Amino acid sequence: MRTFLFIVIVLISGLSAGLIHGAANFVFVEPSLDQAIGIENQHLFASGEEKDTPEFRAEFDSYRYWQKSGQILAGAILGISIGSLFGIIFVLSRNSLPGKSDIRKSLILTGIMWLAIYLIPFLKYPANPPTVGDPDTVVLRSILFLAFIAISGFGALGFYKIFKKLKTKKFIAILGYAVFIGMVFFTMPENPDKITAPMNLVEHFRIMSAVAVSIYWLSLGIILGSLWNRFKPHNELKSTFN
Amino acid sequence: MSQSRQINASKNSVPVFAIVALAIVFAAGLFVVGFDQGHIFSLVYGEKAFEDLYIHELTHDMRHAAGFPCH
Repeated sequence: MRTFLFIVIVLISGLSAGLIHGAANFVFVEPSLDQAIGIENQHLFASGEEKDTPEFRAEFDSYRYWQKSGQILAGAILGISIGSLFGIIFVLSRNSLPGKSDIRKSLILTGIMWLAIYLIPFLKYPANPPTVGDPDTVVLRSILFLAFIAISGFGALGFYKIFKKLKTKKFIAILGYAVFIGMVFFTMPENPDKITAPMNLVEHFRIMSAVAVSIYWLSLGIILGSLWNRFKPHNELKSTFN
Repeated sequence: MSQSRQINASKNSVPVFAIVALAIVFAAGLFVVGFDQGHIFSLVYGEKAFEDLYIHELTHDMRHAAGFPCH
């Protein structure tokens, strides 16, 4: 294993996919975010907490500029972060992943991780635009969200080990995970916040958010798999002789 | 006549430090983007960081877009 090369490949893959994610958010998610923040402002004006003055607009515009410009930087950081987790699991499971090429192995693993630590948790605790979340419940919501991801992720890992051990009837492990996560899904508490924003805006935001995150996972699988295929960090260059 | 040959040996062992380093990158990145409410800057700026929320605001749009709980 060429360790330095392995780490560089993981970080570059995560960074590239993260930048793609940030750019995808600009295209798909930002319009809904702007709309939701517009509603949030209307609530501030209606409650008398703020007045719709040129000063407020100037301050708001610079504030939004800071938030929007952070989209790409945050995409890069989150991309590297999730990419690192993916790199760890890929290098430890590569030999047992199905598929001949590393691109195929990488795409299979991204598919499993996308399902276990993104899509299933998303179905339980979907993304919400601004105006929906209550600041008083943010700690509880964060705990629920992280706990569900951890349970689903470790559950998938456990059932994958069972899957590998089973000589026949391997589908029992997949069924086992489905039953396990189904029970967790219906046992865990719901998001405590009531949605007061227009439902069509919330639903549109959720779909666009899921599209952008899925683009990230797909990009990560393709980029890491391609770089791995090209540079083969698992092969140690032992010696050269004439 | 000389021939140039290379031998590629496949080793399964992954250095622990590489796994630990990537795990730290994972945890730190996730905290910055998903959960910081002024905690990191409070190490330097104290209580004021919890009011300024610079990292929270910088990552705000991604926090919503990636599905993290926010205000």
